[in-house]
Amino acid sequence: MSNETVTAQAAEAVPEPESVPHGLGVSLPAADARAKTEGTFPYAADLWAEGLLWAAVLRSPHPHARIVSIDTTHAREMPGVRAVVTHEDVPGEPLHGRGTADRPVFASEVVRHHGEPIAAVAADHPDTARMAAAAVIVEYEVLDPVTDPEQAFGAEPLHPDGNLIRHIPLRHGDPDAAGDVVVEGLYRIGRQDPAPIGAEAGLAVPRPDGGVELYLASTDPHGDRDTAAAAFGLEPERVKVVVTGVPGATGDREDRSFQLPLGLLALKTGCPVKLTATREESFLGHGHRHPTLLRYRHHADAEGRLVKVEAQILLDAGAYADTSSDALAAAVAFACGPYVVPHAFIEGWAVRTNNPPSGHVRGEGALQVCAAYEAQMDKLAKKLGVDPADLRMRNVLATGDVLPTGQTVTCPAPVAELLQAVRDFPLPPLPKDTPEDEWLLPGGPEGAGEPGAVRRGVGYGLGMVHMLGAEGADEVSTATVRVQDGVATVLCAAVETGQGFSTLARQIVQETLGVDEVHVVPVDTDQPPAGPGCRGRHTWVSGGAVERAAKMVRTQLLQPLAHKFGMSTELLQITDGKITSYDGVLSTTVTEALDGKELWATAQCRPHPTEPLDEAGQGDAFVGMAFCAIRAVVDVDIEIGSVRVVELAVAQDVGRVLNPAQLAARIEAGVTQGLGAALTENLRTPRGLVRHPDLTGYALPTALDAPDIHIVKLVEERDVVAPFGAKAVSAAPVVTSPAAIASAVRAATGRPVNRLPIRPQAAVVTAT
Amino acid sequence: MTLPTTLDEAVAALTAMPAAVPVAGGTDLMAAVNSGQLRPAALVGLGKISEIRGWQYLDGHALLGAGLTHARMGRPDFAALIPALAASARAAGPPHIRNAGTLGGNIASAAPTGDALPVLAALEATLVVAGPGGARREVPVSHLLAGMDLLRPGELIGYVRVPLLHAPQVFLKATGRTGPGRAVASVALVLDPARRGVRCAVGAIAPMPLRPLEAEQWVAQLIDWDNNRAIVPEALSAFGEYVAAACIPDAAPGEDGTVPPLPPAVLHLRRTVAALARRALGRALS
Repeated sequence: MSNETVTAQAAEAVPEPESVPHGLGVSLPAADARAKTEGTFPYAADLWAEGLLWAAVLRSPHPHARIVSIDTTHAREMPGVRAVVTHEDVPGEPLHGRGTADRPVFASEVVRHHGEPIAAVAADHPDTARMAAAAVIVEYEVLDPVTDPEQAFGAEPLHPDGNLIRHIPLRHGDPDAAGDVVVEGLYRIGRQDPAPIGAEAGLAVPRPDGGVELYLASTDPHGDRDTAAAAFGLEPERVKVVVTGVPGATGDREDRSFQLPLGLLALKTGCPVKLTATREESFLGHGHRHPTLLRYRHHADAEGRLVKVEAQILLDAGAYADTSSDALAAAVAFACGPYVVPHAFIEGWAVRTNNPPSGHVRGEGALQVCAAYEAQMDKLAKKLGVDPADLRMRNVLATGDVLPTGQTVTCPAPVAELLQAVRDFPLPPLPKDTPEDEWLLPGGPEGAGEPGAVRRGVGYGLGMVHMLGAEGADEVSTATVRVQDGVATVLCAAVETGQGFSTLARQIVQETLGVDEVHVVPVDTDQPPAGPGCRGRHTWVSGGAVERAAKMVRTQLLQPLAHKFGMSTELLQITDGKITSYDGVLSTTVTEALDGKELWATAQCRPHPTEPLDEAGQGDAFVGMAFCAIRAVVDVDIEIGSVRVVELAVAQDVGRVLNPAQLAARIEAGVTQGLGAALTENLRTPRGLVRHPDLTGYALPTALDAPDIHIVKLVEERDVVAPFGAKAVSAAPVVTSPAAIASAVRAATGRPVNRLPIRPQAAVVTAT
Repeated sequence: MTLPTTLDEAVAALTAMPAAVPVAGGTDLMAAVNSGQLRPAALVGLGKISEIRGWQYLDGHALLGAGLTHARMGRPDFAALIPALAASARAAGPPHIRNAGTLGGNIASAAPTGDALPVLAALEATLVVAGPGGARREVPVSHLLAGMDLLRPGELIGYVRVPLLHAPQVFLKATGRTGPGRAVASVALVLDPARRGVRCAVGAIAPMPLRPLEAEQWVAQLIDWDNNRAIVPEALSAFGEYVAAACIPDAAPGEDGTVPPLPPAVLHLRRTVAALARRALGRALS
């Protein structure tokens, strides 16, 4: 009795706002935010095991060479060295690769790129391991590298599969269609690196049953496990991948060229083996964004309506295929951008070269073409003498329009609304040209910028990306939800890479079950697969699976009550841990309803199937699409060519906002990655050799480089086929911001700006 | 690792252990150690030597301790003394680097992109080098950077002697981005009103700072030193072109006598140097 009084008083004293927000649509903070901020969150590089050995990988110093001999005698004889492995020690599949298995675990006869692994060593000290790796004597017969993708067609095959990985000749409409105005352009996109904040690291622990456990910051644990098991010649059940803290992922994490050697060394020595990659190895090992060469011809009528687009797109895949086929499909399908184009003829190729392999990096394929088609739109506007934003507005795509692949856009496509939103946003004020005015000039504080030489430019970019795997990929995810004592637990092998999935999973369960306390279990491959973390998959498929599982638990929970009161479960609702009926007659708590029981449910989410592009590049290849509009404002020092992005105004098609703070952070991060691609990030590989594989030479944007980012509008038009109606948000701003920045530099300087990153000499206005 | 408290103790420690490496701020050295590129047998830390962490005045010169950090040199009191060196210190990387990195370290590493180096070259600074047995000798900074007069075993840079010119000085740096970055090109320009001279050095484009001596002399006589240091505006851009052409000369003529054009990237660098030199002179004279 007294207890009740106390509760009632407390309820009065503390008015309604529940201190912890929960459910969908609120900014629930990440559970690990505090640990990550304070530096106590353990990443793979922090792992330790009793008696562990250290691994080092010997990588090829040449981009192309024939291996005459490999002599590991000296390395084996070094004190402290426990094992040396080469291609001869791979018991299972010698080749691996996402999509196409074309990549050796260790190079055996030829090396095809700078940094390709040749041997690996396990020793009792990391220095010993590195020295032993350096003591492996490899005799090379150095061959001429093929580094120009245009030369790859005619060059000697670099690989038994040939140099052409994929060719898509997209044909849509009438080839003889012609417009009143024609503009042409040639564009080059550089090699961006995902450059994760934490370099790759991992620990392999042998198991008593002859299997091995790999502790990795993997973003595709089941994919990595299957590859590893095949290479080790083991059943998948005997290899377990345990996902550790992921220190940043904008592409695939944990390059397989070191995780396979790691596992082999653990199996061979019977000891735990650890490897932490240096920054240089990290740059050499993981996949990069595809350097791309694009040639475009746009036809438009006198009013500026697009008639026909012809394009040739050449993707440099590097030495191995990896996911290049997917990148090419995206590049070809989105080659015209979010515009209505009745006739399109796009030829796309992905070819092998001796450059470092390209792989999955956020917005692959779509980023490259976006920079090119938006440059074409600027060119067309200039030629027609119309405002570039007006020209775009006349051509924007909407729901119901048809893509050049023949696919009808069935999802929301509020492109016009997005463009209008960024146009309407007030422009940032021009700085007053006085010494008192703190104006951050191009070149930065203490730089050489001079107000008299600075020109301001405003440019627009409209971008689109597809979500989930395309062309018939079986996109599926499985999740399990458990409730006991009013606490819910989520098991789902979707890796939290910083994209916020685990926070989202908690919100989904809170929303569906009305339970506040939700825990997300760490990921390993003993859980059912959830697939890789890319292309916004997890919000869609894993989020959808969590929701379904939570709904099943909800039904199990409410069924007995509903039955007892003779009503359907839909008439009961759960909020704040209390179950109430629609008429308020029934009121009980979740804990009471559980009655000590433990409820489990597992569900899958599998979106509607897609089909591969046919030989004319036609087909319903994509599950869903997301759109973004960005207006960039830049200041350019037209004598030195230094560019500072002043402001980026972003409007994005998000379907539904599930976590506003997380959403804003994703857009800001995406825009900033795009800024890097636009201005500074380019891994240079003259003659196939990676130059400056460090964070001094490879300039990631810093806080001073990042502009004011204004999210001016989030269009919440729910996508009916997506769980919650939400769209993936990370990739679209990455894709769009380079195009917008280039467009603004074009406006400021009048120069064509047909290369990314924008080199200073391309932003200089020479006196005439 | 030893931590001497005086310059002579440090020299003695280095002499006793010839394999030891002196370390001041460690911004370059420790990165090499941590990445395994350098494994010094021993380190002699210079951080506890208080005599080289400040400066003093000496017959119209400032004697700057080699242990002065960039952060210290960037402060207003130092900027009033040697403005160009303060500007270069403020431009030298992000705050955590400026807090640790030292003037002596910048000279000893002699990286082409070292921001203090063109300023010291333009100031015609002299190094006071401490040697075994309390010996002191003076080495012009340009001689050290050019490799004409190297540090001998056991020697340490103790002080940097810089003339106090009481006139405007400018340091300008072009980088590839807005955030802290290495110089693509930098220009230091100082006026010497007593000798009616202009001294200029261009950094980052060559292994050591370059001095365009003819351009300096040519422009010095165009300045009306008695009338507010006035100059005709055309002379500013001509000076920029002169400096740029001196530092980045045209390619040698081919056999047929034609001069092959410079590659676009080099031409852009030349334009950048010209713009920097023009702006630097303009700001110094305004």
